[in-house]
Amino acid sequence: MPRSHLLSAVGLTLGYRDVTIVKDVAFRLAPGDVLAVVGQNGAGKSTLIKTLLGALPPQGGALHWPDGQPQTIAYLGQRTEFESRFPIRVRDLAAMGAWSGLGFLGRVDEDCRTRIETALERTGIAGIADMPLHKLSAGQLQRALFARTMVQDAPLILLDEPFTAVDQTTEAALLSLIDSWAAEGRAVILVLHDLSAVLQHCTAALLLGGGRALFGSPKEILTPDNLVSFGYLSHSQAAWMAGMYRQAAVPHV
Amino acid sequence: MFEWLDYAFMIRALTATTVLSFSVAPVGAFLVLRRLSLAGEAMAHAIVPGIVIAFVVAGLSVASMIVGGLTAGIAVAALTSLLARMTIIREDASLASLYLIALALGIFILSAAGSAVPLKSFLFGSILGIDDETLILIGATATITLVSFALILRPLITHTIDPVFHESQTKRPGLVTQWFMFLVVLNLLGAFKALGTLMAVGLMILPATAARYWVSTITGYLIVTFAFALLSCWIGLIVSFYLPDVPSGPAIVLIAAVFFVISLIFAPQGFHAGLRLNPFRRRMGAGKQTTLKEGETIHEEAR
Repeated sequence: MPRSHLLSAVGLTLGYRDVTIVKDVAFRLAPGDVLAVVGQNGAGKSTLIKTLLGALPPQGGALHWPDGQPQTIAYLGQRTEFESRFPIRVRDLAAMGAWSGLGFLGRVDEDCRTRIETALERTGIAGIADMPLHKLSAGQLQRALFARTMVQDAPLILLDEPFTAVDQTTEAALLSLIDSWAAEGRAVILVLHDLSAVLQHCTAALLLGGGRALFGSPKEILTPDNLVSFGYLSHSQAAWMAGMYRQAAVPHV
Repeated sequence: MFEWLDYAFMIRALTATTVLSFSVAPVGAFLVLRRLSLAGEAMAHAIVPGIVIAFVVAGLSVASMIVGGLTAGIAVAALTSLLARMTIIREDASLASLYLIALALGIFILSAAGSAVPLKSFLFGSILGIDDETLILIGATATITLVSFALILRPLITHTIDPVFHESQTKRPGLVTQWFMFLVVLNLLGAFKALGTLMAVGLMILPATAARYWVSTITGYLIVTFAFALLSCWIGLIVSFYLPDVPSGPAIVLIAAVFFVISLIFAPQGFHAGLRLNPFRRRMGAGKQTTLKEGETIHEEAR
């Protein structure tokens, strides 16, 4: 039987402790899909990510993994608690992606080392692999963290606001890296605020806001009207965006 | 010149502190890396009342000291992390509140029980009178610490650098932190008899901060920290041997302080590096870097 999809969510209710944040979340993710999660602050984006990681149980509904939950789910979170002065080199930070697969005392083998070097090459930081973390710029650090994410070698990759502190050039480079992951047949879920990036690089979008969720193709659901009704944009921002749409002649429903 | 080698108490003290250096070095190194230097200090105070209570109830022995100290230390650590997770007060303020309560409680009980316990020996230890029980305690502490580090080093590094990432990888994210705090308390107890609680923290923190100025890899860091701790102990003990009025605990910590000051001035990541350190980089994610700076950093390294 061919693998139809990797993960689907049905009637998912998300929240923590006794707080319910969003109800009736449904989506479907196949290998090679790039799903953007869009929503205002507090709409449940990070809660969704935590639920997918298994750190929070869903309050209702279910997540279905037709081929079983993958052993590794790669994850790149926000950097609010990141300690950039730790004495460690870029290469070792990337290697951290392989550590959880090694158990307590396993050694980094040849195969793993190749994976690390490839990741450093593809993220464009092979030249600074021996630099200590505290010398990196925000963009270089994010590339190193993308390398770590690649080393995790997972069928499903979760990225929580991966472009927060990086410049446009780095964002473009990292987005094309995400495209290449999708081409390799990995599924990617990313929380993103850059709507043009969503429209260009994502195959699907999940709009969260006001306790509701809407899933579909980015062009179908990220309409100015929807974005306003989900509390993501104000009316004036939406009007400006509609103008941009007309200029760029991007069809929207 | 080596006449101090003829004295059994010196041999015992040298042995004890050598083994102790293996143990406190990684613990001190991670206290510094995890920004828990002051928490270590607070923990040293927090366990004192536990020991006092154990003494009042059961008499001063290594066994009662361990039970009392571990109970107080773990209770304070557990309550601290509980308060930090469940309330708005952060970990440092929670710990400060709890250790002050614990310390006051200990001194209150000690005074109320009308005991003549020499509080001074709690604080400064007596390295020149290390008995067999204490040697065994230090040996056991070092064994447990080193085996633990062999097992938890990777998760501990991951959790220290990127706790959010660590949480994504494990079902029990708190386990590493709790085990590390247990090791801190255990090492404070191991060092307690030899150096006193105040000096024990000195031997944990000063070699670790001094070493951080020299190295940028974790392996090198642990080795240099150990070397500084060991040299501080040996030189401190010999200084104390020739100056009998100087207690060994403060002598050891002062030698560690000498290493600290030398490192601060001469090491590659000491003072002169500090002048170049971009203040906006203190916390990553500040987003103050530009592409130009990025280019400069690579260029610098290429030279």
